[in-house]
Amino acid sequence: MATYTSSEKQGLGSAFFDALGTFYRRRWLLGYFIHRQVTRAYRRSYLGLAWAVLGPLVWVFFLALIFSHVIGIKDRAVEGDPTLNFGLYLYCGLLPFLTFSEALNKGLNSIRSNSGLVQKVVFPTEILPFTNAIASMVDKVFGFGALLVMLLLFGRTLHPTLLYMPVIVVLQMIFILGLTYIMAVLGTFLPDVGEVMRPVIRGMFFVTPILWPPDRLPDSLSWIEDYNPLAYLVNAYRDLILDGTMPGALSTLYFTLFSVALFIVGFALFVRLKPRFADHL
Amino acid sequence: MTPAISLKGIGKKYRITSSKSLRLREILSFGKKQHSQDFWALQDIDLEIEQGSTLGILGRNGAGKSTMLQIISGVLQPTTGTVEVNGRLIAIFGLGSGFNPEFTGRENAMMNGLILGIDRHEMLERFEKIEAFADIGDFMDHPVKTYSSGMKSRLGFAVAVNVEPNILVIDEALSAGDASFKKKALQRMYDLRDSGTTVLFVSHSMGMVNRFCTEAVLLNRGHMIARGTPDEVLGEYRSVLEKSQSKKDAKNAERDQQLDYAIAHEDEDDMPDPPKGKGKRGQRRPTGEAEVLDVKLLDEDQQPADRVPSGSTLTVRVRARYAQAVDGSAFGAVLRDRSETLLFATSTDMEEPPLGARAEGEVVTVDFAFGAPFRPGHYGVEATVSGDAGRLLGRTGEPATFEVVAEERPAGDVIQPPTRVEVYDHEELGPAT
Repeated sequence: MATYTSSEKQGLGSAFFDALGTFYRRRWLLGYFIHRQVTRAYRRSYLGLAWAVLGPLVWVFFLALIFSHVIGIKDRAVEGDPTLNFGLYLYCGLLPFLTFSEALNKGLNSIRSNSGLVQKVVFPTEILPFTNAIASMVDKVFGFGALLVMLLLFGRTLHPTLLYMPVIVVLQMIFILGLTYIMAVLGTFLPDVGEVMRPVIRGMFFVTPILWPPDRLPDSLSWIEDYNPLAYLVNAYRDLILDGTMPGALSTLYFTLFSVALFIVGFALFVRLKPRFADHL
Repeated sequence: MTPAISLKGIGKKYRITSSKSLRLREILSFGKKQHSQDFWALQDIDLEIEQGSTLGILGRNGAGKSTMLQIISGVLQPTTGTVEVNGRLIAIFGLGSGFNPEFTGRENAMMNGLILGIDRHEMLERFEKIEAFADIGDFMDHPVKTYSSGMKSRLGFAVAVNVEPNILVIDEALSAGDASFKKKALQRMYDLRDSGTTVLFVSHSMGMVNRFCTEAVLLNRGHMIARGTPDEVLGEYRSVLEKSQSKKDAKNAERDQQLDYAIAHEDEDDMPDPPKGKGKRGQRRPTGEAEVLDVKLLDEDQQPADRVPSGSTLTVRVRARYAQAVDGSAFGAVLRDRSETLLFATSTDMEEPPLGARAEGEVVTVDFAFGAPFRPGHYGVEATVSGDAGRLLGRTGEPATFEVVAEERPAGDVIQPPTRVEVYDHEELGPAT
């Protein structure tokens, strides 16, 4: 028999680890939620989950085709690599950016859009942002698969550095989780943040080297790249997938520290404020 | 025994502001200006609920009933006080509300169980029971968007009551669903109650509270103003309703009262009949001229039994003593099922022989033997001694109970008479043309 005292004031530390433990204790719930989230969009269609790969495949195909063969932006100044395709280059930047923007948008609404669960059952709310973050990562893994197909199709070599991708993905996940938890708290207590985030996300698209190669950046503006965690991810994706090189060790360390700190702050904030969610919906 | 639920000094405060911009101004003034009012949805609630009791929570709209249930189930945090809950608590606030329309009933039932905090293995084990209880057939494997609202609540209720909670919290959950499902749901609730589950129950149906609950509390404007037996608390509740009536236009008062009564008893038609002789309202009091000493149940071998196979002959042995001399009297036995539906009544007047005049102090034993082709379940027998002109001389305090055992049949039969089936091929019937 379990006993709980609902107004018991738990220390933040133990509440933090207790909430982390929830992910293990309620792993099946988490699994079903993620599965539900990933497959929901494709439920009604006849091809089902195949669209998760087909959609990005069609998209990256057109990007590659239009930019290289129609507009003619074939290469950037990389020696000895005439096949470099701007479409693929762009797509490599888009993958981490889309994960970022989805995390922000879905994170903001993760509590609000599940008000039924928050208000009607004793529900471990920390599951909700986690589900959103993971589901959008899983979605991008399908996109990554589509990218690999395109690389082969355009006759490019698959670099052995691809094997390091999981490491980057794990780091990215920590970053995204931290961001999602902060957004979940903000979106619940301050609905106006949603309006604020829209221009922020749009701005991030342009200040991150997605459309433009980072080496075009004048020295006076290099801080745009240096202090932008998203720029690190975009560059790391391109290094590993397209160039076959390793991302810088120091910048990787900085990014790792930043992501872990972001996660701890975000999750702690969430754990501290989650008992009040039900009152604010 | 530790109480199932213990509330100490519970209060819940909300801050109410008429508009968002006023609230913003208040925040920006750093506490100098106040545009909001404090509103206490609940205040000073002290309540201990014993294990195995069934508590009805009464009150008008906005009295704080749902807030109280939400605090007990841990969804809302109280502003003041502490809540202690012992055991697995399952709360039902609006059935099937967590269902996702794109997914099948089966998937949603699993999700629902996991959301309620039930282990996946346990859910897999209970799936058959849940499916049988929901009784929605092939729809189990269709997306929930194709369900009627009744089917949704059947499935939701099936999940919640088939996971064997220690404490069940129900907020107006039985209002959907057709009569037969309501009966089934109620039957299940009686089963849970009798197996020791603590049930907390909000309903506007006074009859339901009266029949089902062992205790009741009355909330009014966030305060608990009465606690006691359902009878007492219902009386208080009526007077609260009347008080609010009397403030209104006198001309409309009577009609309002009728409406109130109709609303409060709205769903009773679908509920099992209230117990006739034994009902807490309109109960006939025995005169005490006779005393039922005991009621025994005997099986076909004349052995005392509390479990009998369906279709066997059951003997009800009633022993009573006359406290005064009477000219004429009759023994009666009344059989009811769990939901207090009258199944069968018999007496020495209806059958033979009449008992005639009896002297003071005389003890008489009567055996009623009859076939019991009932469906499996629990039944109660009550014995009465009546005099002339239907005067009630004496009656059993608590009905004697027994269980009928048989294979459950899916049709939901009330009785299962011994049935013989013979099949004739068409040719054998001979010159029927």
